[in-house]
Amino acid sequence: MKKRLHFLVVILLIMNLTNLSLAQNQTEETTQKISLKPTLGFEYFSRTIKWDENNYNSKLKSYLFTFSLDFEIQEGFFLSFLLGYSSNNYNGMIFRQLPFSVELEDGGIGGYLFGGEIKKNIFSQDNYEICLFGQFVYSLGATKNWEIPGLNVEASAEGKPTWIRTIVGPVFFYKGFDYFYPYLFLNFNYLWGTFKMKETIQNLIGSENKEFSGEGLFGLSVGSVYEVSRSLSLKGEASLIPYVGFIIKATYSF
Amino acid sequence: MKRIKFLSIFFMIFIFSLSWSSQNFRGNKEKEPKNFPFRQEIRYIKSINEGQPFRYQGPPYAPDQVLVKFKASLSIQSIEAITKAYRLNKIKKISSIDVYKFQIPENISVEELLYSLNKNPDVEYAEPNYKVYLAATPNDILFRYQYNLYNSGQEVGPPGSPQGKKSADIKATQAWEETKGEKIVLIAVIDTGVDLLHPDINEKLYSSGRDYVNNDFDATDDHGHGTHVAGIVAAETNNQEGIAGVAWNCKILPVKVLDENGVGDVDLVIEGIDWAVTEGANVINMSFGANMNIKGLTPSRFFEEAIRDAYEKNVVLVAAAGNDNGPVLYPAAFDAYCLAVAASDYNDLRAEWSNFGPEIDVAAPGVWILSLWPESLTDEGYLPYVWTSGTSMATPHVAGLAALIKSIKPWLNVREIMDIIRFSADDINSSLYPGKDDYVGFGRISMEKALVPIKITSSK
Repeated sequence: MKKRLHFLVVILLIMNLTNLSLAQNQTEETTQKISLKPTLGFEYFSRTIKWDENNYNSKLKSYLFTFSLDFEIQEGFFLSFLLGYSSNNYNGMIFRQLPFSVELEDGGIGGYLFGGEIKKNIFSQDNYEICLFGQFVYSLGATKNWEIPGLNVEASAEGKPTWIRTIVGPVFFYKGFDYFYPYLFLNFNYLWGTFKMKETIQNLIGSENKEFSGEGLFGLSVGSVYEVSRSLSLKGEASLIPYVGFIIKATYSF
Repeated sequence: MKRIKFLSIFFMIFIFSLSWSSQNFRGNKEKEPKNFPFRQEIRYIKSINEGQPFRYQGPPYAPDQVLVKFKASLSIQSIEAITKAYRLNKIKKISSIDVYKFQIPENISVEELLYSLNKNPDVEYAEPNYKVYLAATPNDILFRYQYNLYNSGQEVGPPGSPQGKKSADIKATQAWEETKGEKIVLIAVIDTGVDLLHPDINEKLYSSGRDYVNNDFDATDDHGHGTHVAGIVAAETNNQEGIAGVAWNCKILPVKVLDENGVGDVDLVIEGIDWAVTEGANVINMSFGANMNIKGLTPSRFFEEAIRDAYEKNVVLVAAAGNDNGPVLYPAAFDAYCLAVAASDYNDLRAEWSNFGPEIDVAAPGVWILSLWPESLTDEGYLPYVWTSGTSMATPHVAGLAALIKSIKPWLNVREIMDIIRFSADDINSSLYPGKDDYVGFGRISMEKALVPIKITSSK
């Protein structure tokens, strides 16, 4: 319920701010054009996740490889659709609802990524620009099977994790340099997910749906966009709060 | 930055001091905990039974009694007419299973009467009143270390006694990090009673219990065996006194069905099981057994019915295999409903006297096991603790583990708990008999594997 509420808040925030911004723009004379920008991205983050009613925590370390298409549907207003692959490490997560409790220590679990982004300029004056950025990412983990060691009969476990992350907030750009635009990103950053684990040991069968959520709701990132040429730009971003991570993106403009 | 440095240094000093004090504590514990019976008491200790486990020598069933169940359709008048015809003297009725206990006439044998009764169309079933007896008796009084819970390779008894093999134990200390049990989990010890005033267990008793031998509600132990068994399961632990029990926080429900000689009739056991289930027992420990493999007779159906009834009410039943190097005794041999426990020793070898057969599920340490002894039965100047051997001593280790599993995973049913205990056992005789075998079953129990999360490190 809490997660749904968070999600709703994020969506409403994006819609409100976007509508507000669109309304402002409608009063301005802007050039309407749709352009397409393919972007390749890589992201790493290591985030504390809490589970079992927040009594326990471990780290979720994820590598995200993304390909997105950014549609500039209006000048300064981008919509993106995102696809990709993720490798997620849930080491340290313990499943105590199973007949035999197990702790994951096997490294990464691959999965597919789906998502979308929205970016809209809402303020611009002199060398300063503020835009609103929102992102929604869904990581659908692949099913993975493990042997449970140490027992005197054959024992196996089957797991399938998924997580969803929403980020929304204002990005403050400084555009006083040529080709190089540093920025500060304050955001609402929420991650939640489920790890379904099933255990089979002869006739002894159990399953656990473990819900987890990322620690911290508000984030701070710093980054910069570097325009290599008129058609190619690079972006680097480092997350400082509520977790450590970084993003590298290369965008090509037609 | 300076603040971060300061905090880091402070944190490191804090962690270092914690680990240093923790090591010191462990060191003290390994030397000699306070209030423990120390080595100087050794000279005051007498040897009992030459270190051998107890073996019952009497008849396999009561020579003057039978248990009879009549057809459900029969009226009380019809039952009275039948008993009059057979000249049976009613002793009592076990209401929980609708079985009558009769004294038989002097001029007829149990076998002849049973033959006749079982031919009678009004009788559903008749059987002897089997004798159940202890699967162990004490041999020495001493306390030094409980190798059964944590075996560091120490001497297992007084000076000159054998030295144990390191890690030939049930891995209790690792498991206690995960759980020490819950107070709401109740372990019934159906035995000779429990010393209700023993300082190392009196706070752990759920009630004063039930005494079916003297027919009252004071299950005081007049033999010693039940107190010893109860101590292994759940002696007061971490109290700087005496010994540690397997299930630190679980409660004991004493049920006395065996007399001061350690012998009892199966009808009392049936009543004891029924009462324990009614009182809410989650686990029942039965460190006794009966030989029901008698030519011309079948094992007690009434006993099996009581055991099955408890099993179906989600109670874990744990029973001793016996100490005769022979077939598994009953109730341990009720394979579908009971965990049958064999005895292993301080070297993780099967005790040579431990009974064997396909019914054996697991083994647990049962040689030179130290536990409580009734203060009333302890001579002045002696400590109320003794060493004993037997599958009776192995069984409460398993009952304690079952209680811990029930504590940490109360949603599991009895079959699942039994499987966890079986599948997590260490196959201690795998070089001779890989897999489940007739001697130690799946192996010596491992509390660590049963309770501590298993690390998954490799995918299929």
